Amino acid sequence: MSSQLSYVNASVGYPGITVVRGATLDVSAGEVVGLIGPNGAGKSTLLRAVTGGARLSEGSISLGGNLLETLDVNRRARFVGVVPQQVGATFAFTALEFVLMGRHPHLGRLQHAGAHDIDIAEHVMERTDTLRLAAEPVDTLSGGDLQRLALAQALAQEPSVLLLDEATSHLDLNHRLQVLDLVRDLADGGLAVLAVFHDLDLAARFSDRIGVVATGVLEPAGAPASVITADLLARVFGVRAVVRPEVVTGSVSVTPVLREGAVSGDRDGRVLVVGGSGTAAGLLRRLHLEGYDVMVAALNRGDVDQAVAETLGLERVDLPAFGEVDGEAEEVVSCLAARADAIVVCEVPFGRANLGNLRALGKAASRMVFVGKMGPERDFSDGAATALAGDLLAHGAITVADIDEAHAEIVRLTEHAPARSPDP
Amino acid sequence: MTASTRMRRVTVITVLLAALLLSMVLAVALGAVSVGAGEILRAAGRAITGEPRAPGDAVIVDIRLPRVVLAALVGACLAAAGVLYQALFRNPLADPYILGMSSGAGLGAVIALTLTASATALRFGVVPAGAFAGAVLTIFLVVKLASLRGALDVTSLLLAGVAISYALSAITSFVMVFFRESMASVVFWMMGGLTAASWSYVLMVIPMLVLGLAVPMTSTRELNLMLLGEERAGELGLDAERYKRALLGSGALLVAGAVSVSGLIGFVGLMTPHMARLIVGPDHRLLLPASTIGGAIVMVLADLVARTALAPVEIPVGIVTAFVGAPFFIWLLVRRKDHR
Repeated sequence: MSSQLSYVNASVGYPGITVVRGATLDVSAGEVVGLIGPNGAGKSTLLRAVTGGARLSEGSISLGGNLLETLDVNRRARFVGVVPQQVGATFAFTALEFVLMGRHPHLGRLQHAGAHDIDIAEHVMERTDTLRLAAEPVDTLSGGDLQRLALAQALAQEPSVLLLDEATSHLDLNHRLQVLDLVRDLADGGLAVLAVFHDLDLAARFSDRIGVVATGVLEPAGAPASVITADLLARVFGVRAVVRPEVVTGSVSVTPVLREGAVSGDRDGRVLVVGGSGTAAGLLRRLHLEGYDVMVAALNRGDVDQAVAETLGLERVDLPAFGEVDGEAEEVVSCLAARADAIVVCEVPFGRANLGNLRALGKAASRMVFVGKMGPERDFSDGAATALAGDLLAHGAITVADIDEAHAEIVRLTEHAPARSPDP
Repeated sequence: MTASTRMRRVTVITVLLAALLLSMVLAVALGAVSVGAGEILRAAGRAITGEPRAPGDAVIVDIRLPRVVLAALVGACLAAAGVLYQALFRNPLADPYILGMSSGAGLGAVIALTLTASATALRFGVVPAGAFAGAVLTIFLVVKLASLRGALDVTSLLLAGVAISYALSAITSFVMVFFRESMASVVFWMMGGLTAASWSYVLMVIPMLVLGLAVPMTSTRELNLMLLGEERAGELGLDAERYKRALLGSGALLVAGAVSVSGLIGFVGLMTPHMARLIVGPDHRLLLPASTIGGAIVMVLADLVARTALAPVEIPVGIVTAFVGAPFFIWLLVRRKDHR
């Protein structure tokens, strides 16, 4: 479909300051393009430059093929509707009157909204779930209601381009999805949408393409999964995060693990963690933040704990997806165990595939902590895991009830144990 | 909008006009010499048709009637200006008096008065022009000063208005010291009064009211949009910057019209739009005409009180409006705090 909004090498900002330099972006009919980036990077400024709130100092912006400067304010408002971050309503217009203000660009001088305009207003209010508020004075409504009314107001303009500036920030979960589903629907019906998002999961879920604004530059927009990566989060937001496919919607999901420079602890000691399936992720992060030297026993690629360990940059043994802890991996784990001051076996089930992790710990029983009892509900190795655990417990390993108790044990073990052999 | 709102609009305006007529008849009737309503209408009829005057007509036609009509016009100017500034600044505390515009118009008028002291004929052109120039310059200064720190918020707008007001009053006093001979009349005029009312004053203020109302009355939809803020108004298709200038100019005309014939009268421009908003709601299509007529009523009644309350002593009408208006302003200020 044709390009409805296009920035060509556009520099935008305010008098005396350029916020974003040389931005190039096309938003076509039927498409939702998301903008993400840190606070103050210029996402909103890019939007505001379209409607006159910010200045275009270089390059061009066009709407439906018309250069912005050739459109008067009124004609522009028939092309593009905006839903702002914050909606002010200090005067007691009714919700219907408020939405009808969106008909302004379609009315002549001295003309007031007629039956046709009211039909349009009521239609968009129905779609934004605000029709039941029609007679309410807007200054008594909640922020969420106001934001949906602002969307209705913008839709009453019957625009071909919709700009959303964090338009769902004041909405509850249900209304957030409802509004974005509606926006998606409108885009599928031919609207071109450019939306600023703070929530990366939402951005990935509702955008066809995503552009990143960072340090005054708009990077070329691309498919959500190719743009939102662990690398981007580290580079642009200074956050180490696990980025995984989001299984229900097929988009991506971001779990921030820690901020760059957040490691503040000064604890000494090396800890080996045996985990899997998310049983260890929280402990890994906590120990890492506290300053421990954390090592991780063999895990399959694609496992949550593996992803967190990788994100944190921990010393670990990676197995291929669905691979087994073979003899070689077992050897490496047993070397890690030899260097560890404390070893934690998290409450992970054991089967043939990961039994090797347990076998590798044979010589380190005295520095070992099991989280939870080993028993039939966790043992899928025909009793082999239970037997190994029993042996280790007999040689000095202990069992604790939960991760917190395990952590206390780690503190104790790393305090009292003499420094182990230095790293090779 | 719909048939029922149009009906409501006609009804409200008809009722207000009837109330205005009633209060004007009352104001003409009451005074040192009371006259009946029938007598007033007959005298007015004789004046219009040019029939020879009956004894007693002079009091009605040359003294009371011009004063009452002038009061109505001044009240209309002030209230309409109040509506414009409250919409422009999205601030229910805005009013020509509080924004310092009345002082600015006053200084302009005083300068014009002193410069033309010897040429009375010139005054009727020069005084309103001076007042207009003073009002425009003041609002420009106040807005500039208030937005120095960034956004134009309520507090800085009020502070700037007060500061500029003080400065202008000082300059006005300074001018008056140099022209001692006209001081007494200027002082009385500054307090706000309609004692000097005459038909020529009426003729002077009518064009300013009409010109000042021309833009806002024909753009009430745009006025409503301004309540959403300039940026949002722009997003919805209004060239807010240009429209704002047109409104500032219109408001200055209205203020200058009122100030040149009646000096500084405060709070009418603040109170009336509020009362009107309580009755008719925020839509300027109804609010602007209702406030304009309402301002006329308020002023006619205030002047009636000024003339008769302590008769034969006459209180300047500005003092009457301040007596009612200042507590009202404080109430608004307190209520706003609660709101936040």
